[in-house]
Amino acid sequence: MSERILGYTDRLSAVPGDAVNFKISAPLAGKFKARLIRLICGDDSPEGPGFKAENIDSEIDGIYPARQQRIMAGSYVWVTARQPFDLLNFTVQAMIWPTLPGNGKPQAILGNYDAATGSGYALYVDETGCLAFRAGHNARSRPVSNCWGAIGTKSTRSSIPAPAASRIGHNMMLAYHGMAASRQPDRDAGRADRRGRPFPDRRLERRQVRDRPFQRQDRQPARLGRALKPAEVERLRELPLDVELAQYVVAAWDFSRGMSTVKVTDVSGNRYHGRTINLPTRAMTGWNWDPSDFSWQSKPDQYGAVHFHDDDLYDCGWRTDFTLTVPADLKSGIYCAHIWQKTRGWRQDRGLRPVLRAAGTRDRDGALSVPGADGELFSLMPTSRWSPAGGSMNLSSGKFATMGLVDQYLEEHESFGLSVYDEHTDGSGVCYSSHLRPILNMRPKTDLWQFNADTHLTDWLEKKKIPYDVITDDDLHAEGVECLRPYRCVMTGTHPEYYSKAMLDALQAFTNGGGRLMYMGANGFYWRIAYHAGMPGVIEHRRAEDGMRAWFSESGEYFMSFTGEMSGLWARNGRPPNMLVGNAFAAQGFVNAVPYHRTPESQDVRVSFMFEGIGAEEVIGDFGTVGGGAAGWEIDRADTQAGDAAPCADRGGGAPISRTPITG
Amino acid sequence: MLKIDPASAQSAELAAQFKAAPFGPYSADLQKMLQLLRWGFARGRTIIVCTQPYKEWRLGRMGPQRGMKVEIDDSAEVFSDYGAAAWACFRARWQEVVGQPCPVK
Repeated sequence: MSERILGYTDRLSAVPGDAVNFKISAPLAGKFKARLIRLICGDDSPEGPGFKAENIDSEIDGIYPARQQRIMAGSYVWVTARQPFDLLNFTVQAMIWPTLPGNGKPQAILGNYDAATGSGYALYVDETGCLAFRAGHNARSRPVSNCWGAIGTKSTRSSIPAPAASRIGHNMMLAYHGMAASRQPDRDAGRADRRGRPFPDRRLERRQVRDRPFQRQDRQPARLGRALKPAEVERLRELPLDVELAQYVVAAWDFSRGMSTVKVTDVSGNRYHGRTINLPTRAMTGWNWDPSDFSWQSKPDQYGAVHFHDDDLYDCGWRTDFTLTVPADLKSGIYCAHIWQKTRGWRQDRGLRPVLRAAGTRDRDGALSVPGADGELFSLMPTSRWSPAGGSMNLSSGKFATMGLVDQYLEEHESFGLSVYDEHTDGSGVCYSSHLRPILNMRPKTDLWQFNADTHLTDWLEKKKIPYDVITDDDLHAEGVECLRPYRCVMTGTHPEYYSKAMLDALQAFTNGGGRLMYMGANGFYWRIAYHAGMPGVIEHRRAEDGMRAWFSESGEYFMSFTGEMSGLWARNGRPPNMLVGNAFAAQGFVNAVPYHRTPESQDVRVSFMFEGIGAEEVIGDFGTVGGGAAGWEIDRADTQAGDAAPCADRGGGAPISRTPITG
Repeated sequence: MLKIDPASAQSAELAAQFKAAPFGPYSADLQKMLQLLRWGFARGRTIIVCTQPYKEWRLGRMGPQRGMKVEIDDSAEVFSDYGAAAWACFRARWQEVVGQPCPVK
């Protein structure tokens, strides 16, 4: 299928004065046009309310030179020291857990090999699954897959022996998938582009030698300044370094340090520190993990593993094509850049990446303040749900697997980054998801799920002329309840499923203080996530213990690397959704949707105001574009035995359920 | 273990039920049959591919791994109705799961 105009912004939410940078990749040579639109409804389906948007005059209106920008997926560790190693004899040791050996692609473990010049070295798993070492000569040895293995090689001036691999017997260790790569500084390490990335020749080298790694790698891949005897290698397997041999160690990376960061620490004292690129998964159980503790904070020395994937992606790092400085008079709402290119007689045109303007302004320190509400209602856009689901293909929800154009494009292009619903190529679950990449289903004119479904709410608010402001989950996490206080009512999006503790605390404080909360979906407040304190635009999630899961976290890996908090269900973290909204997720998969019927409890004076204008016997929601009714695909239930109030509406004698007519 | 018995009159009856109302509501037995035909990994089996939004669907197949072209048989029937595509997919999946053609045409 034809290539698409792709793009993303560096932020999802902005207030007047904020600069929003748009990064565009246009498939056709020449130019592209851009303009700003205010999105009312993104549903262009024949049965829906129709696509509705307003053109907004802005500084981004114009014609721009088109260029294609690449996505470089794949995680690794980049050692940033500028001084090259200059060793004639050395030993390399690492603990690895190969998950896809022999997949036809070389998978680097450690090295600085430059394919263009043939210089340097690389310890890697080759295309056939053999452990290999390259330094002008090649040597191979067969490693064992899906178990921890101590691997190493030693190189002397006169000979390059085959690298050694031995299986570490560990009865408590479950088979796991993973990958690793590490990079040594070299003579070209100081040469890099503006993003600190290597020049193309190095990318080529990386692609050939390191870009396809599929191992989990444990801490201390060590390089030593002389060739060691096997017994000495054994003594250097654990940290802290053996006192007698430490003097020979050139570099030893301890992955258990700086777990919440991108830092990789060299504990040799020689400062060959590194950083992770594209967020490989940290806080993974190491080769020496035993189930004596499940938190990496308690026993970090047993969590020295990093799981590298060839499809990890944090920030595409594209160059900015144009910038919008949010004007003071811009009304709160959902905004998109509309991009198009001319081609033979017709125009490709795409609505790109929303920018949601929160009400309020930023002070000089960048803090958001909301001095007065433009509207009485705050519409809370579940960006923490959009990103985790972003790029995920939802093919078979209550129907025969059906692939739309976006799904097809994602299927045929493997490097767009993943959602936390996906599995990596080696079958391990995706823990991190970022919006600093093109997300093809976070845009109008897509399926009625997540972002596009939420525009039904803005359409309804506009139609009913209800004044409202818009805020995002990201804002709620950063600003807390203070950004909600000016409002009498907060309305969620259609699927507010992923919540950080700060977000949940904010909503709970809002309702405890008398604020009204309209819960517009089901399956809400379900999973616990974490935002990164220093890296914008990314969330972490572990699918711990139980729940309706696309994949499941391995034992010992329930605690998030970003914060050290246990992930999984909020219900397993002492904060069931019932505490906030009086019901909780019960089931999913119902193709047909049905309406609600009022119950006697709806006459209670405390809630009857919600039913003004609705007859006592009137059916609520016996229509809709998804399933033909209000309650369907995913449903909640009020659990009166757990203390939930009796429902005000139920599904006509069936189990009391709550369901939005929107999400489908 | 739940299986589709191709010789059973009930199986044919359930297939006819689906043909008559591809979007339901489904009887309990038809739901069980659909579990067998629809759920699980989509890769490697017949799926529906929307080739024009809201207007055109075809049957296709995903490649063995992501990054590969979605196979669409251009000579196969083009559907202008999603329900008709769902019925065609039902019959294709029946063949794949049961190993015999669906008795309902």
